[in-house]
Amino acid sequence: MENLKYTEILQLNKQLSGTISSAPYQIGILSNVTVNAGKEILEYVCRKNQIEPAIEIGNFDNIVQDSALFQNKNLVMVFWDTLNMFDQVSGFFEDLEDDTIASFKQKIYSELSMVFNNLSSTPSVIFNCFSSAYYPINVISESKIHRFVSELNRYVKENAPSNFVLMDIDAIFQQHGLSQCYDQRFYLSSKAPYTVNFLKHYMVTIEPLLLRNNGKLKKALILDCDNTLWQGIIGEDGLEGIDMAPSSKKGVFFHKIQQMAVFLSKRGIIIGLCSKNNEADVLEVLRTHKDAVLKEENIVIHKINWNDKAANLKAIAQELNIGTDSLVFVDDSDFEINLIREKLPEIQCIHVPTQISDYPQQLLKNIYKLFNLNPNKDDLKKTEMYKQQFQRESAKDQFGSIDDYLASLGIELTVLVDDAAYIPRISQLTQKTNQFNLTTIRYTENQIEQFMENPKCFTASMFVKDKFGDSGLTGVCILKEDEGDPRVIHIDSLLMSCRILGRNIEYVFLDHVIELAEKKGYSSIRAQFIPTKKNAQVKDYYEKIGFELLRESEGTKSYSLNISTFKPREIQYIKINTTLNA
Amino acid sequence: MSVVFEVPLDSINENSSTDNLENWDSLRHLNLILALEEEFGVSIPDEEVGNLVNFKLIELTINELLK
Repeated sequence: MENLKYTEILQLNKQLSGTISSAPYQIGILSNVTVNAGKEILEYVCRKNQIEPAIEIGNFDNIVQDSALFQNKNLVMVFWDTLNMFDQVSGFFEDLEDDTIASFKQKIYSELSMVFNNLSSTPSVIFNCFSSAYYPINVISESKIHRFVSELNRYVKENAPSNFVLMDIDAIFQQHGLSQCYDQRFYLSSKAPYTVNFLKHYMVTIEPLLLRNNGKLKKALILDCDNTLWQGIIGEDGLEGIDMAPSSKKGVFFHKIQQMAVFLSKRGIIIGLCSKNNEADVLEVLRTHKDAVLKEENIVIHKINWNDKAANLKAIAQELNIGTDSLVFVDDSDFEINLIREKLPEIQCIHVPTQISDYPQQLLKNIYKLFNLNPNKDDLKKTEMYKQQFQRESAKDQFGSIDDYLASLGIELTVLVDDAAYIPRISQLTQKTNQFNLTTIRYTENQIEQFMENPKCFTASMFVKDKFGDSGLTGVCILKEDEGDPRVIHIDSLLMSCRILGRNIEYVFLDHVIELAEKKGYSSIRAQFIPTKKNAQVKDYYEKIGFELLRESEGTKSYSLNISTFKPREIQYIKINTTLNA
Repeated sequence: MSVVFEVPLDSINENSSTDNLENWDSLRHLNLILALEEEFGVSIPDEEVGNLVNFKLIELTINELLK
């Protein structure tokens, strides 16, 4: 993307426009400088990730006023540049009286707090930190302008609401050089300080956030072995011949790759192997090689055989119960990479660079972009949980009937209502869950918090454990009272993590939620199924529960359920613990 | 020019100018300058930027800068 010319981006963007069917992602851009050239670049970054953007650029230098109009956008980006800010001040800044500077600062502070206020309930805001990179540095005595900018940044850090991501644009200036990023000519002629280069780098930098906000981060990193995890070919060079030693010239790069894989596995990212080798050879390396950092316990799944890798990756996704588009695949072979790009284009492929010294940097860049490295407790346990899943799968074979098997698991559900401690995890589940998700509405932490505070809404969260282990918070149901009829409640969102499905938990949970609604005095429940590319498995879910289909249009189905005549399933082997603060 | 102004390639000829291309407004003019500079690896002096109001002038200036 950074290698594309501006005109190439414009062309590619035009080609992609109209090809993405999902609901548009509403982006508002507030700025006090001209950033219009960034619009198409941002559109392209969105579209190449299958996100259809609807970008609105606010009026020039109307950040405060337009922030009130943009609060309902999905994402607001704020380009509040110091260049145009200081242009408002008449007089030479360094020569200004302290009083003048102080009152100017108060003016900016109050503008900032209005913007913070207006945008505090917007799902996501990217706010650029103020930069003093344009102004010469005075080492002997700090210039007033530099001090002013650092005070503003401190104010922003202390006061910005939690939905704000503060973007350090100085870091972009540093990495690419100010002269590559800022063009005074265009600032003077058109108040457009940023170069196309800067806008490209900027949009690439925020790309992970776009992915995260749209539930498009990846879940698993699948690695080849020979010349990907170590230098050499185990089948030919043998245990002694392969190299991943931190002390060796080339081995050190592979050593770093293994460290990164371990790092990811600790953060709930699934690490898998997919390699054409003899399984025993590879396992021997993991178990006994003195330099192996990545061990068997870090690896959730491996397909080490001579089958084609496209089939293997498909099988991996299936066994993990995730979509193939949640996989990232690393390999050194052109052949394999091209095969996957051809057959499974939705899998992100990383080709080990020929210049092996670039390998760790390149992988790390992709890791930052594609994975959530700020996991919560449940993510951390995920490696363990996916392993338990396999134990359960293998236990399945020992029992005659599926019910005997399920009864033997000792499943226990715990349902909590409006428990603020789990806001981050609930928000994360709404962002990430695609398959068992009836309406696929994405919520930020702030929004979940608002639901919990609202007496007319309630949010039930479900925890699952069985004798093999604890799956944690894996189900969420958000309900909202009808605006007209206080006896009616709507299921706004209902979702469950795929790893707990197939054990009737999906039915018991809603049965229990219905019971909760009854205790809260509601007599009728309305619900909806909104189809997406990924949630076909739940299209008849409400029918199975016993809801009555009211109408169907373009795949969206609306249902109603009369609580008084509802009969829950009797599933004795699932135990429910609940904190009924109804 | 066709990509920047979002018009078909054949609607641009050597007589194209700000007067006869509707999409050639001041914001797109800026985008055009950015694209030209990147495409030809030149830096167009400020005083020229405002003058490049038709195809021939652009051609002339770029050729001049490439010498």
